[in-house]
Amino acid sequence: MKQINSRHGALVAGLMDWGIQDFIYVPSSHAAPIIRSLESQGVRAVMANREEEAVGIAGGLSLAGRKVAIVMQDNGFGNALTALATFAIQYHLAIPIFANTRGGLGEYNSMINSISESVPSILERIGVKVIELGISDSVEVWRSSTKAVAQLAKIQHRPNVTLFEALHPSLEEVE
Amino acid sequence: MKRIDALKIIDTFFAANPLVITCGATAREMASFSRRDLHLPLLDSMGLTSAIGLGVALGTNDRVGVIDGDGSLLMGFSILPTLAAYPATNLTIVVLDNGQHASADQVPSQAATIELSGAAEGLGLNTIRCNDAPTLDAALAQSKSENRFAMIFVKIEPGNSPDIPLLLADPAVLAQRFASAIGSSSQR
Repeated sequence: MKQINSRHGALVAGLMDWGIQDFIYVPSSHAAPIIRSLESQGVRAVMANREEEAVGIAGGLSLAGRKVAIVMQDNGFGNALTALATFAIQYHLAIPIFANTRGGLGEYNSMINSISESVPSILERIGVKVIELGISDSVEVWRSSTKAVAQLAKIQHRPNVTLFEALHPSLEEVE
Repeated sequence: MKRIDALKIIDTFFAANPLVITCGATAREMASFSRRDLHLPLLDSMGLTSAIGLGVALGTNDRVGVIDGDGSLLMGFSILPTLAAYPATNLTIVVLDNGQHASADQVPSQAATIELSGAAEGLGLNTIRCNDAPTLDAALAQSKSENRFAMIFVKIEPGNSPDIPLLLADPAVLAQRFASAIGSSSQR
């Protein structure tokens, strides 16, 4: 079981600062420490089997007035695209989505980059705001940015996506 | 039973409750005789109806209704185990099963040859089967009195009601009204 690194811990702290009440997740080995950390801090979790299902459940919770986020992996946006475009965007739903990236340094999967590298441009093409958090950003920036993008989703009544680097172990604590 | 007759029964039963309505002819037929702030008709997003209903139910104490179709449920079939894993005691899902994609030129759905309710039952979901108006009425009443999750499968006639106008509402307005009606602050 992976330990949470300092930046991913800061992402969790940012969501707690925001006052997150629920999160929907699709399992990801890279996001697993974040999922466990949120659950351990008492945030209600619902595991979805597919990313579009996560958008549906999160959208319903948002309509009911809950502060809800989605935690997933970037290769799942292929599944989620129609749900994001026809539901979350069109119905003006405040859903901050936090997705770990794949296909970069330390990647062990030979083909996942074929979807992951295109995700930012695909999301921007359908009008979803994309924020990126990387290893060059400080722990403090991860925490404050996470809270800020979640607030922005509520203010703008729109989903947004934070793509965060799931760090290669050898790079995890590089400042 | 025709779909529009089933819709009238469901609309009456959920007159004071949030009701998520699947897209296509189902949403259009409902809007042709009833429009309420507590209705959330989907204008697209086929396959998401029951997932959205689960989210609403997890976010409120009110009993929440969902009108799904066999085609839409099949498109988002992964919601069934999620409903079983996260039981919402305040959620009633009504699946109107005509064995076809009535909004897609009546192409048969897989429900024409398989029994969808068997999958729900196999997952341990509280499953009720109906074939006519009296049994639908009874099933809805049962779901309310038992105060637990229910998935009601209703066999309806194939086809659509004639001369139903398009539903050209602004989804953002529908969402704002729905959220406000269930006491939500999310859209304010």
